[in-house]
Amino acid sequence: MGAIQGLEIRRSSASLRGGGTMLRQQPTVAKYIDTTICIGCKACEVACQEWNDLPLVKTEQIGTYQTTPTLQPNFWNLIQFREVDTGPTGFAWLLRKDQCMHCADPGCLAACPAPGAIVQYQNGIVDVDPEKCIGCGLCEPGCPFDVPRYTARDNKMAKCTLCVDRVTVGLEPACIKACPTGCLQFGDKDSLLALGHHRVGQLRENGFAQAAVYDPPGVGGTSVITILRHGDHPEWYGLPKDPSVPTTVSLWKRVLHPIGFVAMAAAIFGAIGHFMAFGPKKPKEGGEA
Amino acid sequence: MSEIGARAPTVMDVAREREDVLVGEEIVRHKLSSRLIHWTVAIFFVGALLTGMPIWSPVFGWMAYLFGGLSVCRWLHAWLGVAFSVGTVVMFVAWVSDMKFDANDRKFSFIDYLKFSAAEDPEVGKYNAGQKLFFWSVLAAMLVVLLTGIPLWWPKEFGWRLRQVCIVLHDVGFIFWFVAIVGHIYLGTAAEPGTFRSMTRGTVTKPWARLHHPRWFREVTGGRR
Repeated sequence: MGAIQGLEIRRSSASLRGGGTMLRQQPTVAKYIDTTICIGCKACEVACQEWNDLPLVKTEQIGTYQTTPTLQPNFWNLIQFREVDTGPTGFAWLLRKDQCMHCADPGCLAACPAPGAIVQYQNGIVDVDPEKCIGCGLCEPGCPFDVPRYTARDNKMAKCTLCVDRVTVGLEPACIKACPTGCLQFGDKDSLLALGHHRVGQLRENGFAQAAVYDPPGVGGTSVITILRHGDHPEWYGLPKDPSVPTTVSLWKRVLHPIGFVAMAAAIFGAIGHFMAFGPKKPKEGGEA
Repeated sequence: MSEIGARAPTVMDVAREREDVLVGEEIVRHKLSSRLIHWTVAIFFVGALLTGMPIWSPVFGWMAYLFGGLSVCRWLHAWLGVAFSVGTVVMFVAWVSDMKFDANDRKFSFIDYLKFSAAEDPEVGKYNAGQKLFFWSVLAAMLVVLLTGIPLWWPKEFGWRLRQVCIVLHDVGFIFWFVAIVGHIYLGTAAEPGTFRSMTRGTVTKPWARLHHPRWFREVTGGRR
């Protein structure tokens, strides 16, 4: 699917002024994942495959309650399962919904060299347009969550679209629709954050003093907010502790690019200036140099 | 047939096969094979540059349309890079014997050279130290850009941490190359008239050789003026 035409674009890859008009007011949408009441039923995985018409992925038994080892180009929603030793007296089975986090400051979009191949809509959804994707794979080093996957045929990037086609017409994403426990919710981010903080309060009262909302500020926050019982240890869930756009991507886009432009201009103007100052060097007339 | 066979060889005939020889008033500086390899490498270089720059920055996005779009550039760039690298290796083998630094090259000052006023060091041979440095740095940059380009070509086969480093080094190599090639083209054309023909016709004039490469001039002409 290409970029959704009816949605206002906030940011577009490799485009200096390629976004939208910024006129339309749209709330930032979000997906709310309460890992404390996820039962690991995988209904969201199936709903994602069905709605997005993705070919079935071959399951792989890795000794846990997990469908495949990682996300795949045709498998965008994975319930990860981890057995964690939580301390001297503790032990936990942790479930976490792995998918594109829809960062407010998306590293993939910053790293992408193809104009319009990765877009961020005004409502915060980060989407890929395979028609414009050139299959270079540069978005992967930009992603702090290891989400981008590449198709076998031509390396096009594929990932969760937050069901932008459903959201555009007022429906909730397929995974949310399928969830039987209410662990998944969809709505505008502000009210879901309020719900998240309420839920964290409940958890803290009930013995989980470290419970927290995972909405990492290093990437400007995410449109997938996750409630963690062990909020002080996101790595137990396979989430990076303080994710940010990688420094090499910033170095490359914010430092090397300006240096490159200055060096290129300096070379061209330097040659012209040198010619005017020192003129051509040619043999003297008459042959005797 | 007999007529053609009978005539004396012209300078162009000689320049197909031999270099560093005086023919009449002209000196053959680059034989045909040298010129062909230079222009082969040059075309692949420019092709790789024009297909790489639109990937580097959208400011150069228009260059992609010369080749049919950015997704064409994405694979064409890699193949042109390989072709350029192969050409550079051939050029290296062909020219390396002339490119060894000698004791005299240590005295070379790039700043003094660019002032264009001082008389040329009489001991400058076929290539001056700046030309030799350009030759070796093109080879070094070719190796860096080729080695960092391979993981970027096959993203799925290499880890993204390695590719992060490769992107930065590939960019540094590109920026160096752009600056170096502007200098190379400038010095080979407008700055030093009489130089460009050495890569097209293959020959230079005696006054040109005496000015820019005095020792080479003495070697080729056998000390005669």
